[in-house]
Amino acid sequence: MADKRKYVIPGDVVTTGPFRPEQNVILDGNKIISTTVGISEIYDDSVKVIPLTGMYIPKIDDLVIAKVISHTSLSWELDINSCYVGFLPAQDVFGRDFSAHADELTSKLKTGDLVAARIANFDRTRDPLITIADRDLGKIDSGVLVEISPSKVPRLIGKRGSMIQMIEEATEAAVTIGQNGWVVVFCESSEGLLKAKKAIQMVNEQAHVANLTDQVKEMLDKKGES
Amino acid sequence: MASHSVIDELKRTQILELLEQGKRVDGRALDESRDVSIEINAIPKANGSARIRLGDTEVVCGVKIQPDRPFPDTGDKGLFICTAELLPLSHPTVETGPPQPPVIELARVTDRGIRESHMIDVTQLVIEKDKSVIGVFADNVVVDYDGNLFDACSYAATAALLSSKTPKWNWTDDAPVLAEGEETQLPINTIPVSVTMAKIGNHIIVDPNGDEWASMDARVTITTDSDGNICALQKGGNDGFTLDEIVKCGETSIKVGAKIREKLKAASQGVQ
Repeated sequence: MADKRKYVIPGDVVTTGPFRPEQNVILDGNKIISTTVGISEIYDDSVKVIPLTGMYIPKIDDLVIAKVISHTSLSWELDINSCYVGFLPAQDVFGRDFSAHADELTSKLKTGDLVAARIANFDRTRDPLITIADRDLGKIDSGVLVEISPSKVPRLIGKRGSMIQMIEEATEAAVTIGQNGWVVVFCESSEGLLKAKKAIQMVNEQAHVANLTDQVKEMLDKKGES
Repeated sequence: MASHSVIDELKRTQILELLEQGKRVDGRALDESRDVSIEINAIPKANGSARIRLGDTEVVCGVKIQPDRPFPDTGDKGLFICTAELLPLSHPTVETGPPQPPVIELARVTDRGIRESHMIDVTQLVIEKDKSVIGVFADNVVVDYDGNLFDACSYAATAALLSSKTPKWNWTDDAPVLAEGEETQLPINTIPVSVTMAKIGNHIIVDPNGDEWASMDARVTITTDSDGNICALQKGGNDGFTLDEIVKCGETSIKVGAKIREKLKAASQGVQ
């Protein structure tokens, strides 16, 4: 398990020795150096830095919430809260017999629509290829979009989904978390919706705090009583 | 430009549903503008300046006053020019480079509101007729964007002009010469206040915030002077206004404008 957590800035030597450099660190000689502002974590044989800030860099198979910003006759352009623009080909939605003449793209997705999507392919030389052809993916018809920092997404999910399960159970809300920091909250009751939004914002703002789970639980319980 | 950012459909629906119930996303009344906070003399070295916060929209305006050549056809009048620009840090969609049409419109509407109200008595800004006049330049910079830049820039420029002190120049040897230590207030006739109203569905709301701005169908900016006269109007957006709606907008702009005028007056008098 991780120990020796400490705050690092780019250039800081996290540790020295026979470790495998993972995310946001580079190996220089036998020194492992951070490349970002974050919290370093040293495992048995590997070292990584969890960034405190930063934007979303797509990874293959990530679930993201995307917003349609425009379309051509063959594809949609999606805002995935990244420096890259998501590319959703029309075949993905219409099927292989898609015809640019017969099918109108706006009949399926218009500008401003939100979709739950998956990164199908990405290699930094081209814009990320998006797919919505899967179970649980596709257009989102109801709910509220909450934006958090992409670097806080793991904290919002928690260990094996503990944090988000707790929020969902306490508020009876359904929460879809995109790895890109966009979260859609759906709840029948407006009170539950507000509570869930508040809890998510709390995680976003206090992700670095040690016993965050307890604090969020306390907030959720307290508001329930009043 | 920020007004081109796409709003998600869920939020647009939410805004519309709330308006059907007579409510707004941030809890304001339909004819209620956001809180205006005014900081006079935000830039100490300028002839006049102001920093305005309209909700989360923030604009800084600086005024420069200097001798200039008059336009050939108006040699008996000083110059007044108002500009506006957006800093890239104001919104993720704003980039550096030449201003986009919406930003050019912003500068023109801000300028026109002040110019057509005849706020500054430019006939008093002449150093030597047809040769040299005093030029007043009000430059707005948008630092943070959350909708309704028209009003924020207008308030910033007005507040900055109200607090401006103009140096005095004498005409000696065919050139304007600065008279040291003789600063006066700008000759102010009236205080123009612009009020922007957005139409979303069939509802008209005052001072739209960023989300409302992105989901509106049409907008109208009406500037009124201290006497409650309408002196400038700009309509934008694809939808139209009915005659009744425009009349109502006019009345609203006078009513809302009067409150903001008091704030502008109080802020500038606090400094003098």
